[in-house]
Amino acid sequence: MADAGRLPPGPTCRVDFLRPLPFTYLGRPVTGFAGDRVASALYASGIRIFSRSLKYHRPRGLYSMEGESSNTFMAIDGVPNECAEMTALRAGMSVRAQNVRGDPRTDRFAFIDRFDRMMPAGFYYRLFHRPYRLWPLFQNGLRRMAGTGVLDPRRGLGKDGPRGDGVEAEGGFRAEGGAGGGSRGRMGSGVRAERYLNADVAVVGGGAAGVSAALAAAENGLRVCLFERRGWLGGHLDWRTRDFDGVALHRRGEALAARLLEVQSRSPEIVKVFTSSPVTGVWGENLVTGFTVGTGDDPFRECHWECRAETVVVAAGCMDRPLVFNHNDRPGVMQVGAAWRLARTYAVRPARVAVFSVGDDLGLEAAIDLAELGVEIRAVADAREAGRQDPELVAALEERSIPVLSGWAASRAIGRRRVSACELRPVNGAGSRRFQCDLLVANAGMQPRIGVLASVGARLAYCSHTHSYQPIELPPGVFVAGSMTGLRDPRSIEASGRLAGLHAVTCCLGGAQKPAGKGAATGGREAKATDRHAAASVATARRAAAAAASPRHDAHAHPGPVAGCDIRQGPAIGRGAKAFVDLDEDGTYKNVVESARQGFDVPELAKRFGGFGLGPGQYRVAGQNLAMIMAEMRGDPVEAAMPTTVRPPLVPPSLATLAGPNHDVHKRTPLHGELAARGAIFRRAGAWERARYFSEDRACRDEIRNVRRNVGILDSSPLGKFRIFGPDALKALQRIYISDMRGVRHGRCKYSAMCNDMGQLVDDGVVVREGENDYYLTTSSGRAGTTVEWFRYHTRYDGWDYNLVNLTDVLGSLNIAGPNARKVLERVTGSDVSNGGFPYLGCRRITVGDGVEARCLRLGFVGELSFELHVPSSYCRYVWDLLIEAGADFGIQPFGLEAQYCLRAEKGHVIIGAESEARVTLTDIGMGWLWDREDTVSKKVGAPALRACEKQSGRMKLVGFRVDDGLGSPRDGAVVIDGDEIVGYVCTTRRSEALGWQYGMALVREGVAGRGGRIHIRQEETPGRQEPCTATVVPPPFYDPEGRRLRS
Amino acid sequence: MTFRLTCPVCGKRDVYEFTFGGQERGPRPAQEGLSAGEHFRWVQFRLIPGGPQREWWYHGQGCGVWFRVTRDPATNREVEGGGGG
Repeated sequence: MADAGRLPPGPTCRVDFLRPLPFTYLGRPVTGFAGDRVASALYASGIRIFSRSLKYHRPRGLYSMEGESSNTFMAIDGVPNECAEMTALRAGMSVRAQNVRGDPRTDRFAFIDRFDRMMPAGFYYRLFHRPYRLWPLFQNGLRRMAGTGVLDPRRGLGKDGPRGDGVEAEGGFRAEGGAGGGSRGRMGSGVRAERYLNADVAVVGGGAAGVSAALAAAENGLRVCLFERRGWLGGHLDWRTRDFDGVALHRRGEALAARLLEVQSRSPEIVKVFTSSPVTGVWGENLVTGFTVGTGDDPFRECHWECRAETVVVAAGCMDRPLVFNHNDRPGVMQVGAAWRLARTYAVRPARVAVFSVGDDLGLEAAIDLAELGVEIRAVADAREAGRQDPELVAALEERSIPVLSGWAASRAIGRRRVSACELRPVNGAGSRRFQCDLLVANAGMQPRIGVLASVGARLAYCSHTHSYQPIELPPGVFVAGSMTGLRDPRSIEASGRLAGLHAVTCCLGGAQKPAGKGAATGGREAKATDRHAAASVATARRAAAAAASPRHDAHAHPGPVAGCDIRQGPAIGRGAKAFVDLDEDGTYKNVVESARQGFDVPELAKRFGGFGLGPGQYRVAGQNLAMIMAEMRGDPVEAAMPTTVRPPLVPPSLATLAGPNHDVHKRTPLHGELAARGAIFRRAGAWERARYFSEDRACRDEIRNVRRNVGILDSSPLGKFRIFGPDALKALQRIYISDMRGVRHGRCKYSAMCNDMGQLVDDGVVVREGENDYYLTTSSGRAGTTVEWFRYHTRYDGWDYNLVNLTDVLGSLNIAGPNARKVLERVTGSDVSNGGFPYLGCRRITVGDGVEARCLRLGFVGELSFELHVPSSYCRYVWDLLIEAGADFGIQPFGLEAQYCLRAEKGHVIIGAESEARVTLTDIGMGWLWDREDTVSKKVGAPALRACEKQSGRMKLVGFRVDDGLGSPRDGAVVIDGDEIVGYVCTTRRSEALGWQYGMALVREGVAGRGGRIHIRQEETPGRQEPCTATVVPPPFYDPEGRRLRS
Repeated sequence: MTFRLTCPVCGKRDVYEFTFGGQERGPRPAQEGLSAGEHFRWVQFRLIPGGPQREWWYHGQGCGVWFRVTRDPATNREVEGGGGG
């Protein structure tokens, strides 16, 4: 059962005392319970100092219990910067403090606090920079002392995590405790998931308003996604036990939540409720993003989601606005919500003796509630004047003999490491009272969580009634509801939620609230939403509009927004006060004064200069206070205070979650298994996983030799394969290909190339005529995916009638190449494959084996007699087996991409991206002969550029070279030099066994190679070679220049 | 950056499904007598209207159609009546 740090579990308790969870803190065993956050379990076990602050190393304690500051950032299971307030406790966790030397209670750097005068606002930009050479020294020292967690690179995810199954294993960040199957912390390893949602209404916030909005929308048949950051619905009703209308508030919240969950279980396609799911931002056209932290039952640790919504209801609720007073960062100073939830949600005793200093009725209610739970409340100061409080609450406090000091506020927390007493003063006027206490619960009132509103693009303005920022202009389809708008009465909050939900309904169904630009939409999501409700849409919209009218009255019948509290800082603060405006960045009131004095007197400038609001808390702790204090310093009315920009992510997800699940999406060829069985080593090549090598020899000598001497077989299935047909097919070919395509004949491959508008080579391949207005064409593997887009783009104005069908995945391709290729083919087909009947560049339909019809293309990319068989993918394995069997007597062996790369380079055949690049045109790489320069009618893509560039001098040209013997062996990418000047680079170079020398191709400035036919290549990359080597320019092809072998 | 586009075939879809095809710049000029300057101006030159402009988009993750929309790059939204075509 609960220990001294615990309270008896009440009706709102979320902790299960029957399920103890052992974990360690600084190596010492601690026990928490299921339902605890790490911070609540630590607090219950007596931990009060959780960390040391960024700059001054001041002790810091539990402050918000909602992750609003970095006070409780800790290293959990070796993962730094875990927010202990937000991390669900699991058995076996190892928790450590960070930014401390040793125990946070006795941090060795604590002395720094006394030297704060050396660290004024913006000190990092101004001090220690002179003399400049000493800066790195200071910088390193500062880096060591400041900052938050340290990432241990040894704990990084292994490079060789399991791949392909889309599931990341429990590698890397492993639990030290080891119990319970490893860490389940938020940022460590574990399965990451992603989810893409569509909704008519996305509701941000699962409090009373959000749930009411969701119910209103769901009742009208709209698809609702509701996102709640806590693990349960109910918002601030969840922990309140106050009686309202004869029912405890938490019961009211539970009933509301139960209604929504009931709708969800009945129609899960209509309502989707996501708990433990903070929203990170809202983007263009209502794309709501966020993540869900997996509970024990979820198959993931963290799931990123994106929800495209027609409308968004923002009901994100409120949070405490901190009160800025002397030493308001002392452990023992806590926000109202933190103390209250600690007691009510986690059954943790916040303190023995407490003093309250608040600015909102919720604070008074909290004081009564804690008194009820046995915490001795010495006094309650309320910054508002007497008469503005809920009289019922004041009476209840007086009934318990708790002094209520209206118009008073905390001015100082006393105590070196922890609060031992506090000082209260009147907001206006003299005097002070001192109270012994171990907890000072303080806020300046409540402030709306404006992050989502700012992210959605709402225009905000200061409202002097609620003393908060309120939207004055909302983007289309966005509605606001709930306590954010200043409402406190539960009935008002629910009515405002219902109203927002109904506004969303009318907006989705094309009602009056429909934003401009959506009315005329003809298709897509819009149409689907209306289609679904086609029959009922008009009636529903009317009903919704009628209903929308009634809660409006309803809302007016209930109390409206309550007047807020405008206290900016505690009384008698003094200009040198260590009163913290921002806890994360150690930004004090004094720093704000300094910042303003130096001219950085608006919040956006002060933010950059002093770091206020830059830390993990972002706007939350610092934002509104900074704006209000700055306005006062400038002498402006508080209405002029504009907050700093809130930037997403509003709640930080882990980077691993943003990176997503580790699924490597790639294609495999139909022959993947066959290649693997023969020892293929696969590498990614574009969209495909392809066999690159068949042995550990990266030079592929055996594979190359076998193609040159016997016969090799290559799986070239990723080759782009297309059919283009229709009356205007030839016109399209004429536009896209640089050659004259009118001459494309039946049974014969026409080799040509595609250029872009700059005359650069973008693709090459062959075209065969297969019938009337019917052609078959191949593209390079990497280009297959964009070919359809390319054809259609360049003919988009013409209205031509043609169809282009991508057959790349439908057809596999097997290439047999080598002197014995014909002998192999003869054994598997009865068709005529003789040199006379099937010459070089021929294309035939042949029948293979037991009747598989194949397109057979006689090409010579690798420079040998070669046949390429295009067969339906499902037949590839059959044909492969057939060829392997038939080729056994002729030494057939598979070869991979690397061997093909070398073989084609010996022939001087270019590969796009290897021997061509953005600076060179088709003619520069020696392929100008493909260009039909007479044609000006077809408007060939690239032709004008080729014409313009052809006359230019000094362009880069592709040249072949032979490395001079004994002078070294440069590598791919080595630069070509002329004296001290770089004039080009080596594209590809290999040592050829067939030739007996090292050949290569280089792009070099025109004319350089002309001089003596020699180029100079630097080769520092080659070990032991410091001098440039020379190479003789040799026109490609290097191997079989007459092309006898491929014609044989 | 995220927004939606109205494909003339598929309707309103997420921009992730589309490829940008540049500003509308008129059909490919006739090549007979076309100077290099004119050609490169057509290829490279863009106006920045600072407001709604006609654009080409390709629905690559959908139906595969090239279409024109009028869109305001300042707000990323399609402009009324600027749907597909």
